[in-house]
Amino acid sequence: MTAATSASTAAAAGKPSTHRFSVLHAAERYALVGLVLAVAIFFTVLPDSAETFPTVANLRILAANQAVTVLLALAVLLPLVAGHFDFSVGAVAASSSVVCAGLMQDERAPLTLAMLAALGVGLVVGLANGIAVAYLQVNAFVSTLAVATLLGGFIQWYTGGQAISNHIASSLVRFGSGTWAGAPRPIVIVAVVALVGWYVLSHTPFGRALYAVGENARAAKLVGIPTRGYTLIAFAGAGVIASIAGIVLTARTAGATADNGTTMLFPALAAVFLGATAIRPGRFNVWGTVFGVALVAISVSGLTLAGAADWVEPVFNGSALAVAVGLSSYLRRRALSGAA
Amino acid sequence: MTVALEATGVAKHFGGTPALADAAIRVRAGTVHALLGGNGSGKSTLIKCLAGVYTADAGSVSIRGGILDAAELTPRQAHAAGLRFVHQDLGLFDGLTIGENFALDDGFPTNPLGGIRWRALHERVAGLLELYGIAAGPETPVGSLRPATKTLVAIARALQDQEGSEFILLLDEPTASLPDAESRALMDSLRQRANAGQTIVLVSHRLPEILGVADDFTVFRDGRVAASLESANPSEDELVSLMTGRAAVRQARNEPAASGAVVLDVRGLVAGPLDGLHLSVSEGEIVGVAGLLGSGRSTLLNAVFGSQRPLSGTVTLAGEDITGRPIGDVMQRGVGLVPESRLRDAAFASMSVRENASAAVLRSYFSGWMRRRAERADTHELIRRFAVKAPSSEAHLSTLSGGNQQKLILARWLRRDPRLLLLDEPTQGVDAGARADIHRTIRGYAAQGRAVLVASSDFTELAQLCDRVVVLHRGRAAMSVSGVDLNADRLTELVQKEGVIA
Repeated sequence: MTAATSASTAAAAGKPSTHRFSVLHAAERYALVGLVLAVAIFFTVLPDSAETFPTVANLRILAANQAVTVLLALAVLLPLVAGHFDFSVGAVAASSSVVCAGLMQDERAPLTLAMLAALGVGLVVGLANGIAVAYLQVNAFVSTLAVATLLGGFIQWYTGGQAISNHIASSLVRFGSGTWAGAPRPIVIVAVVALVGWYVLSHTPFGRALYAVGENARAAKLVGIPTRGYTLIAFAGAGVIASIAGIVLTARTAGATADNGTTMLFPALAAVFLGATAIRPGRFNVWGTVFGVALVAISVSGLTLAGAADWVEPVFNGSALAVAVGLSSYLRRRALSGAA
Repeated sequence: MTVALEATGVAKHFGGTPALADAAIRVRAGTVHALLGGNGSGKSTLIKCLAGVYTADAGSVSIRGGILDAAELTPRQAHAAGLRFVHQDLGLFDGLTIGENFALDDGFPTNPLGGIRWRALHERVAGLLELYGIAAGPETPVGSLRPATKTLVAIARALQDQEGSEFILLLDEPTASLPDAESRALMDSLRQRANAGQTIVLVSHRLPEILGVADDFTVFRDGRVAASLESANPSEDELVSLMTGRAAVRQARNEPAASGAVVLDVRGLVAGPLDGLHLSVSEGEIVGVAGLLGSGRSTLLNAVFGSQRPLSGTVTLAGEDITGRPIGDVMQRGVGLVPESRLRDAAFASMSVRENASAAVLRSYFSGWMRRRAERADTHELIRRFAVKAPSSEAHLSTLSGGNQQKLILARWLRRDPRLLLLDEPTQGVDAGARADIHRTIRGYAAQGRAVLVASSDFTELAQLCDRVVVLHRGRAAMSVSGVDLNADRLTELVQKEGVIA
């Protein structure tokens, strides 16, 4: 039965039917995608930005610049699916970047070793977060915030407030700024991580079980799901993806700064919550998250090119996060009240 | 003696089901009045109507001569008229002191700057504690009190603003979760309050303790007054027969209990309230577990399923020791559990019917990819087979009615074809139609040679469903009822009288 015919029969019957909602549902699922397109068209037409916004160069810069944000958003997505915040992903990315660049500058370590060490940082921090939340039953909101602060201190200590930019492997820098078939190379990493994330969350028993844990952990345990182990894996995954983001950051900036990563965290969170309003409304999901990043990035880029001041970006990010959180919790409430 | 509270002709329907048909109660001032009845007889419904929590369909209430319309009674009116309620969940804050608990109910005394006058509060509360014979100070944390004392604190708090003894105290199952000695201590205190002129209405399941304290009795059956006794001294047997009536004839069950191989064997189980319980269930057998609240019905099922680790004892499934094994392992060996609280322990409310149905068999759909089409087809099949009314397999579980959600949770487990099915309150909060469907499904399943263990507080359900029912008392299976003895009245009798049997 197609959506159109069922919509008309339900309308003819004059009573609410779940089929009638399927048209609305489709509209709701792709509203975010439509919004991204609408914003893009707006800045293409707007005289102030029409010259620079719709150029290949701008889109390429835009995509490359957002690679880190998308990766961080995908990192934070995993624990959120299991029902927990992870505020440490920004700091993990920053620390990984510092470790990766620092080993090359100070120890002359080969690139492979530097990257493995960076990934190790993410894995260890992720496991620690996971053990704290899943086994020690610590509140993730507070514990991951503590870990983020701790890592910020580590970054300060290691860098002494100085940027690290010497002896960065040239192959890494080329990767960060080069293109493959016209696409910025970091985008390939993003695509791979997104595809893997999508496969794991939507097409494996593990992903399904993780959503069940996030929805009702007690019930999940009583259908035989190892809730603690899965929560641990979600945090470990978040740590590893965040350190991939850190390596990409090193590649993009040809080094590392003493920044603690907090400024990277919030756009990523905003994207995940925006993403929960689309594709699978009411549920955190990979493609919604990607479009969430796209919406924020395109809007900010367009506004900047149209001559808006610097403060526009944080204001926009903050508003997007607030609106996204409001909308996604509204959708969840509606789902629970049975109206959807 | 004057009449403090009189309610007549109170009726209340839920949907099409009458909970109260023509209920009445007449409480004399300064007496302890026992309100009795089996599960579902309407005694709690009457209390809630009097409290204004439920709006009655009809009836009138007279409190110390002032006549109120039961259908328009609000909580505020009930309070103003001097009715004070203490519910089973006492509503005390364990982390706060007794004084703070009193003040949260009645307001803190304040000085002109809005600060709390702690000394005034503590003096007043200390006086009340002394009056009620509570051996604790206003600064004692409530969490450190023994259970009976807590109940007394809740009572003193409810009555704190009366000047003499003009209020009417209504207690709903105050002793349900108290050990014997504690509930006796509480009954003694209540008797003393009544002797001092306090009017008390007491709803309880425990007949022996009520007999010692009550002056008058009102017995409900099926939402009507089965008997009302003033200044009477009935025996326990008389009360039980009034509560159960004589009419209830058990539905005949033709097939005798199957005598297949033993599937579940529990030996000397110690966990929570259970203290050395023995129990076994055979193939094709439906065994029920009856007992008062807190007797360990759910603990038994959880200890078998692996969701609660027993302190000692063994759980054997078809000859294999599964004591203390993790849930996944126990499931693998062929056990399923439909838990007591659907909302808290079983439902993924904002996930789809399909996802809820396959939550316990996720791996079977994985072949490098979740086979969603097969999953959907199987869900449709389950919806049809178990007569679940669902708009579609993709609708949120929360869009289904309680009965249909419960059928789906049952289907979630039956599709695994467990050799032992554990059911905890399988039809709680389920309408009559769904209940009949669920019972039919369970019986059909047992007839295939599966073992079923049902815990329920609904004796009619146990009598209809089970081949054999064990009654829990003091952490053990005190006795086992089957055959012609197995009917709701007999179970009510055994469970109610547990206090005297031991």
